[in-house]
Amino acid sequence: MEPFFRRLFGKESSKDKAKKRLKLALVYDKLEVSDETLSNLQKDIIQVISKYFVINQDSLKLDIRRSEDYSTLVLNTPIVSAKHRGVST
Amino acid sequence: MEGKVIVVTSGKGGVGKTTATASLGSALALEGKKVVVVDMDIGLRNLDVVMGLENRIVFNLIDAVTGKCKLQQAAIKDRKIDNLFLIPASQSDNKSIINASAMERFCKKLRNEFDFVLLDCPAGIEQGFENAIAGAEEAIVICTPEVSSVRDADRVIGILLSRSIVPRLMVNRIVPQLVERGDMLSHEDVVDVLSVDLLGLVPMDELVVISTNMGNHIVMQKDSMAGQAFRRIAMRLNGQADLPIEVPRTQKSFWKKLGIFGKKK
Repeated sequence: MEPFFRRLFGKESSKDKAKKRLKLALVYDKLEVSDETLSNLQKDIIQVISKYFVINQDSLKLDIRRSEDYSTLVLNTPIVSAKHRGVST
Repeated sequence: MEGKVIVVTSGKGGVGKTTATASLGSALALEGKKVVVVDMDIGLRNLDVVMGLENRIVFNLIDAVTGKCKLQQAAIKDRKIDNLFLIPASQSDNKSIINASAMERFCKKLRNEFDFVLLDCPAGIEQGFENAIAGAEEAIVICTPEVSSVRDADRVIGILLSRSIVPRLMVNRIVPQLVERGDMLSHEDVVDVLSVDLLGLVPMDELVVISTNMGNHIVMQKDSMAGQAFRRIAMRLNGQADLPIEVPRTQKSFWKKLGIFGKKK
């Protein structure tokens, strides 16, 4: 179809479609985190939380969840007890 | 002499890295600069055939880097253009012999001998790529107006920036008819997606196929649109930074230009 008519009927050109897909793909590509990074993050987080809470380190779960519009970092850990001031090392 | 080391890279294969390296190298040499083009694709060399120098190879990059020969012995002089030299890759599979730090040292040596050192990077982002970018201070990222190529270019640009190498973009194989019809990404679209400085635009040109068949330099053909585009890019690399970037357009006759009336379908 000629570009003129395509615009008249509000139809998207193939390059517009390409550009949209490309932009989305690049956003997703950049959200990808390597397992190594994730496990390093987990170690750091455990360290910080352990300053304030007693936690069971094996039951801590760290995950990245993706939905249509955004990605979320989800951290899940049961707390055994709170540490009191001065106890932390 | 304190030359410039520029890596020509793309991520994706088959977008025209080797042709671009050969063409920019020859165009810079025609500008009067002393230029060496280096084939970094160990085991899959091609820059030699593209330049028509395949039967002059005695020593190669590995020999020069490991000190088996002198730099001057590995640099093959071009048949047609003075001041243009090629260092071919080795064809045997001994790519683990060179590493990034060896290449960095070698690039310093080359910089002392030449005004421009153009490194033809292998496709991909593995060790060969790492070796190629190790000694470079600038990069030319080549992509075609296709989703796969643009995506890979984005990845490569990210890596280059993380190593403090300044990338500039060359969009290759533009088909103006398709762009004007809305069926090919325009260079504006590509720049918008990649947000990187534009170095130049090269149209699709069948004369490139022909001159590659012959082992000739496309930049020496006055009637080649791509060849002329490469020459302008070379001029821009060679200090004329404000030379305007020419956008490839369809060559329409006056009557066709008059618009929608004369169009069929």
